[in-house]
Amino acid sequence: MDSTPTRTQVIAEHKRSGGRIAAVFPVHYSRALFRAFNILPVEVWGGGRTGNAGDAHLQAYTCSVVRGVLSAHLTGMLRDAELYCVPHTCDSLQGLGSLFLDLVDPGRPVIPIYLPRDEGPAAVAFMASELRAIYDRLAELTGSRPSDADLQRAIDRECEADSVLAAMLELQGRLALPARAFYAAARSREYLPAEQFAAAGRRLLETTVRREEPAGVPILLSGIVPEPEEILDQLDAAGASIVADDMACCGRRNYAMSTNSDPFGRMAEQILGGPPDSTRGVAVERRLAHLLSLASARRVRAAVFYEVKFCEPEAFYLPQLRRGLEEAGIKTLALEVDISERPSHQIATRIEALLETLA
Amino acid sequence: MSLANQLRYHLNVSIVGNSVLRLQRWQGEWQMSRPGSWQNAHIAPPVAVAPRLKELISRHYLKGQYAHLGRKVAWVTSGAPVEFLVALGYFVLYPENHAAVCGIRRMSESLCTAAEDAGYSPDLCSYARTDIGSVLTGKTPVGKVPRPDVLVCCTNICQTVLFWYRVLAHHFNVPLIVIDTPFLYTEATERAVAYVKAQLEDAVIVAERVAGRSLGFDKLKQATRYSRQACELWMKIMECGQHRPAPITAFDEFFHMAPIVEMRGEAFTVDYYAALLAELEQRKANNIGAVTVESKRLLWDNLPVWHRVRWLSEMLAERQVALVASTYTNAWGELAHLVDPERPMESAATVYLHPILNRGTGHKLKTMRRMVDDYQADGVILHSDRSCKPYSIGQIGQRNRLADELGAPALLLEADHNDPRAFSNEQVATRLSAFLELLEK
Ligand code: SF4
Ligand code: SF4
Repeated sequence: MDSTPTRTQVIAEHKRSGGRIAAVFPVHYSRALFRAFNILPVEVWGGGRTGNAGDAHLQAYTCSVVRGVLSAHLTGMLRDAELYCVPHTCDSLQGLGSLFLDLVDPGRPVIPIYLPRDEGPAAVAFMASELRAIYDRLAELTGSRPSDADLQRAIDRECEADSVLAAMLELQGRLALPARAFYAAARSREYLPAEQFAAAGRRLLETTVRREEPAGVPILLSGIVPEPEEILDQLDAAGASIVADDMACCGRRNYAMSTNSDPFGRMAEQILGGPPDSTRGVAVERRLAHLLSLASARRVRAAVFYEVKFCEPEAFYLPQLRRGLEEAGIKTLALEVDISERPSHQIATRIEALLETLA
Repeated sequence: MSLANQLRYHLNVSIVGNSVLRLQRWQGEWQMSRPGSWQNAHIAPPVAVAPRLKELISRHYLKGQYAHLGRKVAWVTSGAPVEFLVALGYFVLYPENHAAVCGIRRMSESLCTAAEDAGYSPDLCSYARTDIGSVLTGKTPVGKVPRPDVLVCCTNICQTVLFWYRVLAHHFNVPLIVIDTPFLYTEATERAVAYVKAQLEDAVIVAERVAGRSLGFDKLKQATRYSRQACELWMKIMECGQHRPAPITAFDEFFHMAPIVEMRGEAFTVDYYAALLAELEQRKANNIGAVTVESKRLLWDNLPVWHRVRWLSEMLAERQVALVASTYTNAWGELAHLVDPERPMESAATVYLHPILNRGTGHKLKTMRRMVDDYQADGVILHSDRSCKPYSIGQIGQRNRLADELGAPALLLEADHNDPRAFSNEQVATRLSAFLELLEK
């Protein structure tokens, strides 16, 4: 995906063509719903050089994703966005959404999305109603009302992009690409329009050399977001090959397909039927079963939990997940980071030590 | 419950246990009535009903110790709808309350450490770490904590409880009922109420299955009625703090709130609060303040610092400062008017969507502004609780607005409600002193 346009280019191009931009914060929402209104969702995961302006509103024990997102807003990095969308992912993002609505001027409309912590019929119905309410809000903001057929077409486009992402994840570790390049391609889903992502992803799959076996020790990478990207270089340098992804920004959004004839029901089923994710509050057992099945399918030898400090959704399940994987003969390593800081040498040393035990 | 177990339960709880506890209460009352038994010059003697509170709490845990003889046990989050469980005859245990007891009795540090040794991050809520540590080690200051038959987790206080209860469900291998309450960024929608009601109906089915009996609608109405009465009384008790001098402080309320949290839906809770209210009215009439000389009045925001309640209360009282109200204790009274015993399920769906922790930062600011007015507070202490993000995020802006708009000095006090390692006596003393000096100017 060498020729993949940058975020800035995509945003500029979308605006030039008369579209709008929504800055969307982690993790789950419906891209199709925004696209049906010609709004391009561009995700903000708090990484990069956002500075620490957010500290004026958030205590130091708030995770670096949320602090980074707020800093990005306060320093004008999100100025291209005509609206913000804040999924109710955790207590900290709940707080951020509420800050924007009540205490910190967002300078644009803010749309929170509540994510049911269940998957039964009542939860799907509520999620669908939540998406319908957002539809009304977007209709009010844009003055347009896409039809059900428009919505279904937008969903189809996202499904197509999701299936390309799924194919990329399936081949992860066997595509002859550095980890950083693989994630740059996979994570371009965070800002590219679905059709562009699908085309670029297909090109990548066609043109990248495939190995029979991964070049390094096959590992599973779990966590919220692989930021800063140096972590990926460190894994490569230590001789690891990421063959299975369980990141919230990537593999945990490998959404289920749904054929529901009601577009809102369809979007709701897709989100709630996605891979087990701690931020959706699924049971520990399901998280573990998912990781074990990924690990067994990709012959994983070690799992690296790359966690954001102060991230409660992730931290609660860590002991059980690690124990379950270790019992299955898979070594585990838990790393905790502030994504606004460069990974320390200590992290590199710990990764090397893990891989040495597997050599 | 088999007949033999029924007899054993009644012998241990109703006869022997109750008699011993009653005796202890009388002893406490007698000791309190002796002249010179109270030594603190800055704080008024405790209310006469205080030994009764101790008796209530001890009896509650005693019932828990013998619950295995036939009562089903539910562990529930503090904001969970409990009336249907009470009506089904469950013994209801609140791990958060138990964790607070561990904090007060100085056990939380070792229990948090035990959880951390098992791999739980020290950044997790210290209630959860205390509870998990207690589950893993079996250590508790209350004798014995009964194993749950069912877990009930309501997300109206935070998402943290969901992960915590998932961990408990995995450990105990028992059913977990989740009542998911959409966060109210603004107002509750009808669809949110309908969603919660649908889950409550499902919850009843699971609870009935575990209990092996059906829910009697009259019993549910009765439990709901007691809940409402207790919440109303609790609100009136807190409103006594509006009087000058305040006959009760938030520090006292932190202890007196135990029944409203863990014994809602019970007749004895209503009786207890009626007695406490009567005594406070008497104190008001006689102008007896909880702080002997009350010069300044403060509002507290967020959870108590359980392991330092006494230290903080003495420090403030020495400076003639009364903590006249708290947003935390207020949360258990302010929704009383929404409880409708004639429509228990419908009203539960509405009530349990509205706790302050399920509402936005703007709502909390509004609540604080109103409380500063109602209680004529001279300033606010916002406990920035590193363990409780849902309560703490937003406090920086809230503090600034309170100071700018109301001219009410407001202090952000960094601590942790149940982990003493995140508390420095020296630092807190210095910051509080500087704040009180500002207040005195
Ligand atoms: S890193 Fe964790 S705590 Fe932070 S926003 Fe993401 S899910 Fe929430
Ligand atoms: S203290 Fe806060 S984070 Fe912990 S259980 Fe209570 S509401 Fe949740």
